[in-house]
Amino acid sequence: MKRTFEMINRMQADGVISQYAIGGAVGATFYLEPSATLDVDIFVTLPVASGSSLLSLTPIYEYLTARGCRVEGEYIVIADWPVQFLPPIDSLEQEAVAEAVQTEVEGLNTWVMRAEHLVAIALRTGRAKDYARILQFLEQNAVDRKKLNQVLNRHALIPKWKRFETKYLRETNE
Amino acid sequence: MSKPEMRKKLASLSFTEKIKILEKLRDRSRAIAASRTRSVSPEATASQENSKQPE
Repeated sequence: MKRTFEMINRMQADGVISQYAIGGAVGATFYLEPSATLDVDIFVTLPVASGSSLLSLTPIYEYLTARGCRVEGEYIVIADWPVQFLPPIDSLEQEAVAEAVQTEVEGLNTWVMRAEHLVAIALRTGRAKDYARILQFLEQNAVDRKKLNQVLNRHALIPKWKRFETKYLRETNE
Repeated sequence: MSKPEMRKKLASLSFTEKIKILEKLRDRSRAIAASRTRSVSPEATASQENSKQPE
C-alpha cells in the first residue's frame, strides 16, 4: 500500500488533487485494530478549473491510467489496491478532509481523517458495517466523545446519534 | 492473552505495521476467494446451468 500512497502523493505534488484524507476501513485502522478490507477510500479535494464550477474526477483517472493504473468499475487500481476517490459531498466531508491528521506509512507522509469524522461519516452512511465500526471506536475508547458531540452537532447528526444510542448502546447504558 | 487485550495490542501498533497486517489480510481473503473459485469446476457449473428449468 506504500506504493499506492506514493502515487497519490505524487499526484498531489503535480497539482492534480489538493488535500486528501484516507477514510473508510483503512482510515479506521489508524485508530483501531486492523480489519480486512479490499479497497481504499480517499476523500479528495480537487482544484477547481477557472470558469467552471463542476468537479470532475477525469484528471485523476487520466493521470493514473497514463501511469499504468487500470480502472475497475468505480475503483482505480493503484499498486494492486483498488482505490475509490471521493470528492467531499457536504460540509462534514469537507471538514474531515480539512482537519485530517498527518501521519506516516513506512516514512511516507499521508493524511487520515480524525476519529470523530470517521465516526460521524459512518453514522450518516448508516450501513450495518458502519454501525459495527462505530461500536469498535466506542468500545476501544478511540474517539473523543466531547469532540464527537461537537462534530455531530455542527452537522445536524444529533438526532441520528440518539437513535443509534437507543438501538445499540441502551444495554451498555443501563 | 484475552481477546480485548489482543485487540488493544493490535490497535496500539504503528500505522505502518497495521497497513502490513491489512495487506496480509487482503492476500488471505483473495487466496480464499481463489480457492473457492477453483473448487467450482466448469463441469459442475455446466451441470447446474443444464438443470435450470426454462421459464
